[in-house]
Amino acid sequence: MSLELLLIIAFGGALLTYLGGKLFGKIRHFLAVAVSLALVVLVACLYGRSMERTYYWGFLGLNLVLRLNMFSWFFAIAISSLGMLSVIFSLSYMKDRERTDFYYLMLLVVNAAMLGIVFSGDLVSLFIFWEIMSWSTFLLISYNRGPALAAAMKYIIMSIVGSMSLLIGMLSLYTRYATLNISEISTSLASADSGYILFILIVFSIAFGIKNAVMPLHTWLPDSYAEAPSPFTAVLSGMLTRMGIYGFVLIMYVIVGAVSTLNCGSGILKFNYILAWLGAITIVIPTFIAMLQNDAKQLLAWHGIGQGGYMILGIAFGTSLGLAGGIFHTLNHAIYIVLLFMSVAAVQYRTSGERDLNSLGGLIKKMPVAFIGGLLGICGLIGVPLTNGFVSKWLIYKTLIVEGYPFLAFAALIGTWGTILSVYKFLHNMFLGQLPEKYRDVEKSPLSMQLPIIVLSLAILVFGILPGIPLKVIDTIGTSFGFESLNITLWGITSESGTLNTINIFSAVLVAAVLFWLLFRFGAKSVPVAQDDSYAAGAYTPADKYHYTVEFYNPLYRMIKPFLRDVIDEFYYWIASSVRSLAGSVRHIYSGDVGYYVMYIILFLALLIFVQTRWKIW
Amino acid sequence: MVTKIIHIIFSPILALVVGIFFLGLARKIMARIHWRYGPPLVQPVIDMIRLFYQKSVSHGRMFDLGIILSLAGSIVVVLFLPFGQICPLAGSGGLLVILYIMLLAPLGLALSGGQGANPNISIGISRKLILSLGYEVPLLLVLLAVMTCYKTISIVEVVNAQDNTGWSITSWPLFLSGLSYFLILPAILGIRPFDVSSAPQEISSGPMAEYGGKYLAIATIEHAFVLFISIALFVNLFLGGAANPAIFFVKMLVVFVLGLCINAVFPRFKIEQAIRYLWKWPTLLAFLGLIMTLVIRS
Repeated sequence: MSLELLLIIAFGGALLTYLGGKLFGKIRHFLAVAVSLALVVLVACLYGRSMERTYYWGFLGLNLVLRLNMFSWFFAIAISSLGMLSVIFSLSYMKDRERTDFYYLMLLVVNAAMLGIVFSGDLVSLFIFWEIMSWSTFLLISYNRGPALAAAMKYIIMSIVGSMSLLIGMLSLYTRYATLNISEISTSLASADSGYILFILIVFSIAFGIKNAVMPLHTWLPDSYAEAPSPFTAVLSGMLTRMGIYGFVLIMYVIVGAVSTLNCGSGILKFNYILAWLGAITIVIPTFIAMLQNDAKQLLAWHGIGQGGYMILGIAFGTSLGLAGGIFHTLNHAIYIVLLFMSVAAVQYRTSGERDLNSLGGLIKKMPVAFIGGLLGICGLIGVPLTNGFVSKWLIYKTLIVEGYPFLAFAALIGTWGTILSVYKFLHNMFLGQLPEKYRDVEKSPLSMQLPIIVLSLAILVFGILPGIPLKVIDTIGTSFGFESLNITLWGITSESGTLNTINIFSAVLVAAVLFWLLFRFGAKSVPVAQDDSYAAGAYTPADKYHYTVEFYNPLYRMIKPFLRDVIDEFYYWIASSVRSLAGSVRHIYSGDVGYYVMYIILFLALLIFVQTRWKIW
Repeated sequence: MVTKIIHIIFSPILALVVGIFFLGLARKIMARIHWRYGPPLVQPVIDMIRLFYQKSVSHGRMFDLGIILSLAGSIVVVLFLPFGQICPLAGSGGLLVILYIMLLAPLGLALSGGQGANPNISIGISRKLILSLGYEVPLLLVLLAVMTCYKTISIVEVVNAQDNTGWSITSWPLFLSGLSYFLILPAILGIRPFDVSSAPQEISSGPMAEYGGKYLAIATIEHAFVLFISIALFVNLFLGGAANPAIFFVKMLVVFVLGLCINAVFPRFKIEQAIRYLWKWPTLLAFLGLIMTLVIRS
């Protein structure tokens, strides 16, 4: 099985789905699921193999290469599986929309382009796939038109800035070493001076930092996540944004190499140290902004930014523990954030697109599967023990504490507490509390939505209780970068400075819960009551008016709101509006009257003559 | 192996007994401060047995499961805390795990209360969550100072290290952290002046407004565990743990009574005042403690 064939299937399948859909609607659904399923199977078959193949000779004098190793396999399997789940989820979500052919085409192209990125063995291929990904994402974000267009425009402008930065780095490497093959560059760069390495690191970090939404390059993300069609938001938040993390690991530990990266700069002005602080800021501020959101998708989007900070913190310090934590968190984050967006989408589907947290409520009895998805998703996001998010966060915290950076650890830990506040509001306002009268007849979600939610919920628990399964693979990645191997068992990690054993925690929680459940059953039986039959200490609570969570954290808002303005976004808007007004004034030069243009030419000639007579330049 | 099993079974029971004793003691001491006689020490036990046989209402599946989850979380934390020399789950993740499992208790109660669909519950939960964010800031700084000082994330090693170096609270930079922990202890316990989230006269016990019968009994057990956990954590981190459960218990008793007597005379804070207090003095002390620990370590 060669990689070219895999990519041909990925791109060709997308096209075929589009053409098939034009003929007959059912074929489109069948083909989309078949292609995405085939990709999962094919990628899974490549496990453990490594290869490097030239697939195109002489593109501008360069060979284009595809390569496979554990690192790219790990990302590829995550991309293809989450892509498949998202396609399945779309089946009912997109059923009665217009332009569905186009939607599936773009969704599958985005998937294929991401696979292309992780399989690229040289920077030219990476750049090509990167651009395909960016542009098809743009088309998908703007799918809903209206405010989505503005969000997509913001995305593509920042994306282009990132691409230009990537291009500058590539050109610089090319003029210096006359090759863009990743393995060849990494051998050449080993002997480069540290100033040049710093330049390369910064240029590439801007590109990948924009994609991963590291502060202060995050501003495209909230609107894009909120406005994109929900199943695609899942892909966007799960893997596409995390291509930035792939890029960071690639540039720091594959291209430049661990030794050069960690020695870049001096004192507190080290590259990785500054990156880590950016990561810490990226955790704290967005997490607290998330508390102020009333839009379910915006709230999750801000968490998407915040969780990216944890990954950055993990990979920044270049220890095997931290790297494992960072990469593992990328996978875990993908799982739970996709789950959360799907659970929001399931609610949206049944409530005609409602995503305002203040007008939902009480849906737990109507949509139990979506609720379980939401519950496990937020547990993963918080990092409650026995969910996957806990293990990766534990690895990251431990790295920070053992390496002696307690303030970074503090930022990471306090981010968790901000998370609890906002996600509780998220879950409560959708599923708990009183069911509004207008949602009395809501049906449960269709099977094609329940299936991905159940699969992902199980994944959260399995990776939380048996983290050894993915960590074994991640450990292989770490050793391939030259880090020492970790002592991993199926249920945790052993080391001198602290051991993690999830199976112990699991059995303890299980036994305790079962015991108390029995005790609970043993007590006098409780009587089920209607939702509005509640005790309000003699005060009158009108039915169907229960929304006491509208300004849930108001006392806290009043204290912290002044500190949480998105100043950076306002700054970018200021730049944009000044450029616009500058361009607006420049436009007046072109009056459209020929007489003016003749005058400009004469004035310019006069200027030239004046310069020549005065200074005699020519 | 056998001793381990015995420890696993007995340490939660021991913790429960201690916690409930503290609940009874608290009522007695408060009564005496108010110049009342007060209920007998075993009153909480009597109440609990009575409550188990009383009728109650349920608002749904999550209403039941949330409270069980919350209690299970508390019990697991107990297994992670050294009680004297008893620590059944010593090598399973250390302080970071304790910190995270302590989440399960408020989260479970909040989920359970959420399905209760009652305005008082909402207000109570909102206050509880804000308050916990308030005290987490200094608490995390304190724990990080301890972990940085002893260069470990294992609580057993922190206790053992104090055998050689003396109690943390008597050593210089950690004294500030210990003081800070003591200042936020009433907020963690939710006793005066930080009883904003239960506030019986104001929002009819907040998160517990819909609970009756066995729900209330379990909520009481939960409260007993929280009492035990937060004081035991202090004793372990700053008072050097103990060689056997008896001495450990005496240390806990001293801390508890001291804290209670100081705080019993304060009126209740408003939630903003509570946050402002927590983010001012205790945070400042904890911050200084962490910085000094870092300076001394390097």
